[in-house]
Amino acid sequence: MTTRLTRRAFLATGTAASVGLTIRFPLFGAPDAAAAAAFDPSPMITITPDGLVTVHITKAEMGQGVGTALAQIVAEELEADWKDVRIDYPIANEKYGLMLTGGSWSVNWTFDALSRAGAAARLALVDAAAASWNVPAAECVAERGVVRHLASGRSLSYGEIVKRVPITKTFSEEDLKKITLKKPADYRVVGKWTPRLDIPEKVTGKAKFGIDTFLPNMVYAKVAYPPTREGAKRTAVDDSAAKRVKGYVATVALPDLVAVVATSYEAAVKARDALKVTWDPGPNASVSTESIFAKFNQAKDDPALQSWHEQGDVKTAMGSAAKRHEATYMTDYVAHMQMEPMNCVASFKDGVFDIYTGSQFQTFAVGTLAAVLKTDAKNIRLHQHYLGGGFGRRLEPDIMLETALIAREVQRPVKLIRSREEDLRRDFYRSATLQVVRAALGADGKPVAWENTLVASHPGRRWGPDFVDKKGLDQFALNGADHVYAIPNQIVRAIPVETGISVGYVRAVAPNYTFFAVETFMDELAKLAGVDPLQYRLALLGDAPRLARVLQLAADRSGWGTPLPPNTGRGLACVSAQEKKTPTWTASVVQARVDPASGNVQVEKITCAVDCGIVVNPDGARSQIEGSLLFGVSNALKERGTVANGALVQSNFHDYQVLRMNEVPEIAVHLVESTEYPTGLGEPGTTTIAPALSNAIFAATGARVRQVPLLPDRVLAALRAKA
Amino acid sequence: MATLLINGKSRTVDADPDTPLLWVLRERLQLTGTKFGCGMAQCGACTVHLDGQAVRSCQTTVAQATGKKITTIEGLHPEGRHPVQLAWVAEQVPQCGYCQSGQIMSAAALLAKNPNPSDAQIVDAMSGNICRCATYPRIKRAIKRAAQQGG
Repeated sequence: MTTRLTRRAFLATGTAASVGLTIRFPLFGAPDAAAAAAFDPSPMITITPDGLVTVHITKAEMGQGVGTALAQIVAEELEADWKDVRIDYPIANEKYGLMLTGGSWSVNWTFDALSRAGAAARLALVDAAAASWNVPAAECVAERGVVRHLASGRSLSYGEIVKRVPITKTFSEEDLKKITLKKPADYRVVGKWTPRLDIPEKVTGKAKFGIDTFLPNMVYAKVAYPPTREGAKRTAVDDSAAKRVKGYVATVALPDLVAVVATSYEAAVKARDALKVTWDPGPNASVSTESIFAKFNQAKDDPALQSWHEQGDVKTAMGSAAKRHEATYMTDYVAHMQMEPMNCVASFKDGVFDIYTGSQFQTFAVGTLAAVLKTDAKNIRLHQHYLGGGFGRRLEPDIMLETALIAREVQRPVKLIRSREEDLRRDFYRSATLQVVRAALGADGKPVAWENTLVASHPGRRWGPDFVDKKGLDQFALNGADHVYAIPNQIVRAIPVETGISVGYVRAVAPNYTFFAVETFMDELAKLAGVDPLQYRLALLGDAPRLARVLQLAADRSGWGTPLPPNTGRGLACVSAQEKKTPTWTASVVQARVDPASGNVQVEKITCAVDCGIVVNPDGARSQIEGSLLFGVSNALKERGTVANGALVQSNFHDYQVLRMNEVPEIAVHLVESTEYPTGLGEPGTTTIAPALSNAIFAATGARVRQVPLLPDRVLAALRAKA
Repeated sequence: MATLLINGKSRTVDADPDTPLLWVLRERLQLTGTKFGCGMAQCGACTVHLDGQAVRSCQTTVAQATGKKITTIEGLHPEGRHPVQLAWVAEQVPQCGYCQSGQIMSAAALLAKNPNPSDAQIVDAMSGNICRCATYPRIKRAIKRAAQQGG
């Protein structure tokens, strides 16, 4: 079914302009007099008379440990006792502001606001205790959940204050800004080893994911999906055989959605398989990988190519240079393949939709559902669960819409679970891409001009006009192409191409392909200039000293420059991912061995150095970096989505292979100690792997592979081209 | 109707003999710790024990499971404190957590058979379980830790 959104639909969420551009955070409200049973100093914090501090996590928990990290930020300034801290994941509500989890933004967007909310709550509690003792607040201190008056030795726990003492102090936005926050040297919770709060229930099977939802009187739905990813139309439905399946309940035939409902999952599968749906496959019936890349090749020469990032005068600098170089890089479609297939439970009663699932973008989901279901946003209650993997897949509300529509038709709670095959074929893939990079070198071997022509599908165009710039370009399809190397003349030109294959945001997003081109090309330029790739980069990183530092650190720890066995090489890459304005400075050295006979590449070791500013949860940070690097290995070595007849060819883990334990290299992570404002860790590591690995293959063999994934046949072709 | 012995209890369910055990466990009995991932024994998220052997419940029918002792993550240890589970917490293994019941069941079956596995034996036993978050290095460490504690 279509999930294209109108501007009006997105405006229904009330936060249209803020997505990805500016962040709103709820104001610190006056305590709710009616709710005397608890103290809610901010929509994100509740302190109850039993002394428990509950931090309401409005970011999706999909493995990042975000709930623990955000609670640590609050607890630090609140001076809560960590053993009293709890977290929950509330029903989506406007009062939480923009509910979006992605882009490695969670800590970066909330660190200051949550710190101030925690500090304000502490000041209000101290003020209340001081007033009850009739002493100046300045004579009191808060520590580990207790306010003490030093001179008299009196004390009140936070729970006792909430239970007995009126809390009256309120803060305006201006007041919040004026609060002096702790210095990093005084942190007691932030930056300290803290076990994740979600882990105990994830080892006993008790953790509840969306798929674990049950409602009374619930039935199971299966959708008959069209044969192509986009553009097919149903012409006829015959459900006579489906009706004979034991457990059959109903057929739902809406303009864009055909489904069968039954009393069990397996009955729903049987009934759906018995449906006879006739399709007009539409305009994309012959779309293939070959036709898409042919289209991309045409598009790269399109005079309508738009400039996205530009400085200096590339044309003049190119013309007068001593040496020039050009290379073309390609990447294939990538699927999310989150372990929990897309699913949802929905009920419709008294005009209200209750939606049970795991969402990365509740604001968008509620707005979309309200618009399509033609109801007010307040009638959409989105109940958040753990996400069995997100990686960007659960930014999309498609499964919620389908389930809600079916639930409204059958007037019973409905559970819709996609099979893995459906999940993969109905994914929103990372776009295939084609990038042509050209550079001109000056007499000293340094680049004086840089030009990148970037052809890809842009997901934001499907989401609506608020997700693209005035030129119709989606910055999240281009980030990273605006690298931080000091090259006086640069241009990045972009053209979005529609292919009939739906694209979305996949972990590490554009920087996964833009840095593949940028960092592999950098190696090619270093070779052309006859300079070591490390030294070549360092000489161009004068404007990015923190990146230079992690690059040097990763190189030092990897044994850069020391001898290796035959057919083994090291390659490096350094990035300012996810976005140039909020970069996590990340560098990796990949050591790999190439089998020249088969083209097989084995990643032996990854040495990664990261500067993300303040680290809130050090072990969680390492876990994220390890996972992001291995996600990169999986992408770089294995994952290739191909297209035939307007749909993805692959169907499950047997033909869309992802990394398994037998291919995991040794990993060494080095986190730089820093007191800079924190950025994010979920994705930047991923973006270093494909280029570092391509560079390692070159170092090992002299063969340059410019196509991701770096499959054996591509390595063999590059080896032959070299010979 | 079928009668199954699950986590030491006899359970009667209204399911055809060819129904995958996975759907009976999850959707009939609401033992939701066992997860659906692929439906074709490719990912290991649905791993349970059948008479102590790790099997993929998505490819095990009710008929095949009848008369055998079925153990799910909920029944691995009464308080969730099996040495493998304790090691998983100590090494802070899970990220999203969705595959971890299956990983833990595979690891527990390995250690029951081979209390002190080598690296190669761990990799061999665990490569049928996919973790898309790629917690593999920690899984390996946790299995070694559990082995040391007599898992």
